[in-house]
Amino acid sequence: MIVIDGITKTHFGRPVLEDVSLEIPTGSNLGLMGPGGAGKSLLLKIVCALVRPDRGKITIDGVDVLSLDEIELAELRFRIGMLFQNYALFDFMTVSENIAFPLRQEGKLNDAQIKAAVDGILETVGLPGIGHQFPNELSGGMKKRVSFARAVLPEPPIVFYDDPTAGLDPVTSSKIFLLLKDMRDKRGVTSATISHDIQGIKDICDNFALLDRGKLVFYGNRQAIEQSDIPIVRQFWDGFSDDELG
Amino acid sequence: MSSAAPQRLFERLGAGFMSYAQEVGGVTLVIWEVIKHAVPPRLDGPETWRNMYRVGVKSFPIVVVTAILVGAIMVIQSGMYIEQYGAYGLLGWGAGYSIFREVGPIMIGLMFSGRVGANNTAELGTMKVTDQIDALRALAIDPIGYLVMPRVFTMIVMMLLLVVVGDFVALLGGAITSRYLLNVSMELFAWSVITYIGLPDFLHGLYKAVAFGFAIAVISCHFGLRTSGGAVGVGRSVNASVVGSAIAIFVLDYFITYLDS
Amino acid sequence: MATEPQTNGWQERVLAPIGEPMLEVYEIVRGIASTFMLTIYYTLNRKKRREAIAEQLFEIGNKSVMFIAFTLGFLGMILIYQAGYQAMRITGDLQMLGALFLQLLLRVFAPTITAMMLATRVGSGIAAQIGSMVVTEQVDALKMCAAQPIQYLVVPRFIASTIMSVVLTIFAVLVAYVAGAIVANTAFNVNFYTFWNLSFIGWFDVIICLTKAVAYGMAIPVIACQAGLVVTGGSEGVGRGHRPQWCTAVWPS
Repeated sequence: MIVIDGITKTHFGRPVLEDVSLEIPTGSNLGLMGPGGAGKSLLLKIVCALVRPDRGKITIDGVDVLSLDEIELAELRFRIGMLFQNYALFDFMTVSENIAFPLRQEGKLNDAQIKAAVDGILETVGLPGIGHQFPNELSGGMKKRVSFARAVLPEPPIVFYDDPTAGLDPVTSSKIFLLLKDMRDKRGVTSATISHDIQGIKDICDNFALLDRGKLVFYGNRQAIEQSDIPIVRQFWDGFSDDELG
Repeated sequence: MSSAAPQRLFERLGAGFMSYAQEVGGVTLVIWEVIKHAVPPRLDGPETWRNMYRVGVKSFPIVVVTAILVGAIMVIQSGMYIEQYGAYGLLGWGAGYSIFREVGPIMIGLMFSGRVGANNTAELGTMKVTDQIDALRALAIDPIGYLVMPRVFTMIVMMLLLVVVGDFVALLGGAITSRYLLNVSMELFAWSVITYIGLPDFLHGLYKAVAFGFAIAVISCHFGLRTSGGAVGVGRSVNASVVGSAIAIFVLDYFITYLDS
Repeated sequence: MATEPQTNGWQERVLAPIGEPMLEVYEIVRGIASTFMLTIYYTLNRKKRREAIAEQLFEIGNKSVMFIAFTLGFLGMILIYQAGYQAMRITGDLQMLGALFLQLLLRVFAPTITAMMLATRVGSGIAAQIGSMVVTEQVDALKMCAAQPIQYLVVPRFIASTIMSVVLTIFAVLVAYVAGAIVANTAFNVNFYTFWNLSFIGWFDVIICLTKAVAYGMAIPVIACQAGLVVTGGSEGVGRGHRPQWCTAVWPS
């Protein structure tokens, strides 16, 4: 259970998040939507304590995240996987080394086990045999999938996906959404998904939240969002606009 | 395989030499373009003023701080010998001579290349990788006249002015240090400077300032305009630009010292 | 300062331009100090990755050899030329030229100029590389894998730069001394044996030289990494991130 309580953050005197409160129940997937620059990625980074908010509180399974020191945070972050918006693959490592990096840092498996695990996950994301290449030799969609593999390979109980299907063709993105669905249904991970692909996240998320210019406009489950009459929610959910944008 | 080893060595030597030759050739071409645009002078007025402000005013604090410390160090170091021989009257000469002729222009030149030259390469490099240079060409604006000439002009003028300022600030720093560290009065220090240092010593530094300013400008513009490969490429260009400027400063310094003494 | 902008008219206008750069300098110094302390902590307390250190040793040391040889060689020639010319004019005695030159080289020029050249070549590269890692979220990704950026990125460079600064300073002394000897011989007819005069050099000079080299070697990567880690604002920010390491060269002696 992740509780986000009253998060406020200003950047150069400009508010980028204003009093955002949300909950992500254990084993559920939260769909985060909103126009660009609404603060979606920032919110996920705050939950991992990569960015410190000005005000507010984050609790993960009862632990107050913002009061932890760096050593305790390192422990916590082992349990969180993150797929970054810009892939964030280490460009000085090969694909295999990238994917293996969190496992090596954890230090539980030996080299042979790590190698087997890396080959296995590359097979799962549909990219077998590219382990020796460097990230800058890959296409955008391949980088996304490698980043996904790196985030989920240590089997963390919490995973955040920051725009997992941006720039992918429809076939690949539906494969990615299937992977996401498996993560929730078979492994029971708690997760949040930022996406602009409403059709894609409709069926894999339990709750939905919509941020607009730093404010939480809507938060609720699928039934609530289908009945909501907030204009911007309708525009996002139905994918077209009858009247002017709000 | 045994015959391949010397061949590889020659290959690497040759590749290294070729890449150096390419840079030198590129810089020469930029110099040629600058000369072509210099007679008659063709440079963009507002852009020149903007650059003068940015380069001159923004580098002023770091130059002053560097100069004070350089003056202090020169006095501390020569003080070692001065105390040994008791020749306090020579302190101003020792510090002034080395500051005017060598240390002043070199230190300020290196600071200048690290701050202004690097900034310039980064700026032009970013413009290049974001296709802004091509956009200028598409608008029928000559990038050399619009971007390079104002920068070359600015850097020569500002380097000259900063060395003048830096020289005197360094002397001031030296005088204060000698007053409080070696107990040599400021009057004696000033007397020593005025008596032993002539106009040629001062001019010697200014020739160097002009040469360094020109070299830094041309080299930083060349590496900026040659940038490719995104943000990483900009970083690489900046690195190459400061390295090239440093080499140019020392080489030019040697030849100016050799010719003018 | 900015808390009561309406009420304080002239006071603010007078004090703000003074206070703002001071706060900025304070922020920079504080950032560098905390990075330095963390670097020392991780250097002493955590296991280090040999291959990363070796790679940085090569990157910082071997690749700078030609550059240092070139610049310091010319520096030696310039210094001897100026000094010899002055000595000829005033005393006409060039007996002590070599000894004085070596002492000055050890105490001031070799460590300081070598450090400036290292800051130029290595410092700006480190700042740019780490800056681009920040912009592309790689530093965040490191943190998410429970790897401390300072431990992972700064420590190998810190160790390599400290070692290589000492090595290169010694190399620089040799190069500059030999270059100076050649100029003294060709331009002023000073015999190599006369030039090779160690009478002025004590252990003290050597210790000063090496202490400075170690201090500069430690300072360069810390300041450059700090400059890289605070980069914000896309690719232009990467290009701007190399100003502060010039502060390295400002605190000699």
